Formats: sequence, structure tokens, C-alpha cells
Amino acid sequence: MSQAATTSPAAAPPKKPPLQLLSKKEKKILKDPLWDDNPITLQVLGICSALAVTVQANVAMVMSLAVIFVLCLSNVAISAIRTWIPDQIRIIVYMAVIASLVIMVDQFLKAYLFEYSKTLSIFVGLIITNCILMGRAEAFASKNEIWPSFLDGLGNAAGYAAILMAVGVLREIFGSGSLFGFTVVPELLYDKGYVNNGLMVLPPGAFIIVGLLIWVQRSISGYAEEN
Amino acid sequence: MRDNLRIFGFAAIVCITCSFLLSVAALGLKERQQINIALDKQRNILLAVGIPDNPDDFLTAEEVANRYEQHLKGIVIDGEGNAVEGKTPLDLDPKEDTDELAVYLFEEGGSIQGYVVPIIGKGLWSTLYGYLALEPDCDTVLGITYYKHGETPGLGAEISKAWFQDNFKGKKVLGPDGDIKSIRVIKGKVDQVITDEAEKPYVVDGISGATITSKGVTAMLLKWLNEYDPFFAKKRQVYKENTQ
Repeated sequence: MSQAATTSPAAAPPKKPPLQLLSKKEKKILKDPLWDDNPITLQVLGICSALAVTVQANVAMVMSLAVIFVLCLSNVAISAIRTWIPDQIRIIVYMAVIASLVIMVDQFLKAYLFEYSKTLSIFVGLIITNCILMGRAEAFASKNEIWPSFLDGLGNAAGYAAILMAVGVLREIFGSGSLFGFTVVPELLYDKGYVNNGLMVLPPGAFIIVGLLIWVQRSISGYAEEN
Repeated sequence: MRDNLRIFGFAAIVCITCSFLLSVAALGLKERQQINIALDKQRNILLAVGIPDNPDDFLTAEEVANRYEQHLKGIVIDGEGNAVEGKTPLDLDPKEDTDELAVYLFEEGGSIQGYVVPIIGKGLWSTLYGYLALEPDCDTVLGITYYKHGETPGLGAEISKAWFQDNFKGKKVLGPDGDIKSIRVIKGKVDQVITDEAEKPYVVDGISGATITSKGVTAMLLKWLNEYDPFFAKKRQVYKENTQ
């Protein structure tokens, strides 16, 4: 945080060009969840699917895309109707919006990416209960305009996707010796006695990798839990 | 009061909108999904008879259709095990034709190399759907696949993994006296748990953490081997006559 605060004023141009895709605030909305406020490594949300669907990088990618799609659209939809949502039933309304989007993704996968829908099995459906979605709906989309909500959804989903991909890539390389289904560990190494790490294929392997990622990130950013 | 009305009204609008969108999506994609499901069944029937050799090789949709066409033929049998003329498994209505069963004949090089039968049974959370393939002696297992279930990933869902299914290859379903003995999924590894050599053809490695799914697999194998026994008994007879 301190680093960002000291460097950004210097880096920012003195006069803003009239046409800019994103304002500074919008950039922050988009960038924060990628690093400083990452949903998995900082908020520790959405861990369940991060452990379950990261055995192979391509499965992690399909899951990531599904979450990006659902989170962006659910944030937009909830933001669009935020002024009309009665306070008493807001959570169930979020749920209905999110569940509808997730079911649509599930139906789409069954129609066009059948093998992935089999591999992802119940985890697509479980996006509904992914805390990131509900969290962003309640914390951001219900209080902000449509465009920032979209950016917030995109940023958070991308932050989730980045960790998912990192875990997926590491697990596939060390667990199966391949990447996106292609063998990457050379035969020579296996001949010399190298063995794939079976732990990486199992959920505990993902736990260890997520833990390591959190450690690496926190030691870089200097973040510490407050007592 | 006005407030409550507003809440109910809003809830109703949200529900109707969501259900409308979902219906459109479900109906629009239904046809493609059904094509995929049919293809997946063919893929699994092929897997049960060992096509492709390496279960990790992925056949394209076209390859699946071609090989299925080339090697497999679906027939319908009645309760006595006789073929019903002019019917294919696609004509079977599970509600009406309760006494008729589907069998897929596996042909290679002009002769029958195996019989594939659909197997259905309860697991822990869900119904398990699969195929069991027997060699022409109707005793040796050619292969087994599970293509649809809702078991826990990593535990019960391992039944659809190659390592579990490979266990079954070459196992026997008939006991020494010629009666149906079927195959049991045990707890632990066969090599470590079963000491009696004579028992080994009838047991396969279990899945740790999936006792109930394993029991379901054991139960459904026994059930369907019995259901199909009139048919298999006939084929066994033919096989014996031919080999003698």
C-alpha cells in the first residue's frame, strides 16, 4: 500500500488527457482486487473451487471464465436494479440473479463444452455459493453505478482467475508433468528418476500451493493481519 | 401494507424474469445438449469395450460416431433373453418396456467380441449410470465405464476414472460352480487385503472415502448380471458349443 501511495502521484501525468478509458478511481476499482485486495489470497474467499478445479490448467481456465462472466453480469444486473431492490429481500434477490446466471453458464457448457462440464461437474453449480459473488453484490454493486460495478466484478473475477490459473499451472506441472494437456517435463528427467508429485493431484496439494501463494504475496506487499 | 405489496411485487418480477431467461436458455440449447449426451453414451460404450486402447486418448465426435457405427450394434432382448426383432435400444421406453432390455453387440473382424449392457444403480448421493462389457464367454469382464453420476468429486466420483475402471478388466463374474458370483468392490487394495488367490478374480480395489458408492457399484453389478442372466446363459451355451 505504502509503495503504491508514494509512486502513483509521481507516475501520474500532471494534466489528464481529455479522453481516457478509465478514470483513476476506476483503475483502482479494477486493479485493487488483482493484488492489494485479492479475493482469494487476501479475503480468502472462493477457496472451495480454488482447491477443487485446479488439477489441470485448462479446467481452471474454463472455471475462471465462467466466474468472470457470472460476476461481471451479476454485478451489472444488481447495480442496474439496486434502487428498486427492497432492503428486506435484497440477499434473496442477489441469489436469484446469481443463480440464474450460473445455470445459464452450466447449460451453455453442457451444450458447447460437454467434456469440461463433466469435469467441472458440480463446481459450476457451486459458483452460486462462491462467496466472492455474494460479497461483491452486497459490498459494491448494491451501492454503485453500473460501470464501476462492472469494473469491480471484472477486477475481482480476474483476481480470482489469476490465482486459480497460478494454482492450476503449478499443480499440473508438478502433479502431471504437463501444461494445458501437453507434456512439458522432458522424458530425460523421468529417465533420471524424476517422479510426478502425487500430492499435487489431490486437494491438499492445492491447499499447500494456495498457502505458499498467500505467503509470497504477503511478504511482497508487507500485509499483516491486525491483532 | 403498501411496503409489503411492493416487496411481493418486486419478488414476483424478479422470479418471472429469471425463469423466463432460463427457459429460453434451456430450450435453445436443448438440442445440442441431447446430441452431446447421445455422443457421450456412445463414447462410453466404446470405452467399455476398450476403444481407444488408452482411455486417456480423446476421440473426436466424428471418430466416436465412426467407430461406434463400425463396431457396435444395439439390440433389444426380452425377459427370456431372446432378441426382439425390429427394435433398437433407442426405441425402448423405460416406463413401458420394463421387461425388455438393451444389449450392445461388439463386433470386430466379422465376429462378436463382446456384449455391453447398461447398468444403473444407487450411489451415495445420486444414481450411477454406466456400461458393463463382457467377453463372448459371458464370464470375463472386458471393461466397465460410468458416464453419469453426482458423487463427490475426489471420492465417489472416482468411479468414472480410468484407474478404477481398469481394475475390472479381466475379472470374472461366474463362480467355480458356474453360478453368478459377480464382482465386489472391497475396502482397500486387493493385493493387501485379499489373501485367498481363488477370491482375487471377484474383487477390485476400493475407493478410500467412498464406501457407500463402492457398495452401490457392487450391488448394481450383481443386480444387472442377474437381470441379464437369461441372455448371457444362452450366449454362454453358444460359446461353449463353438469352442468345444
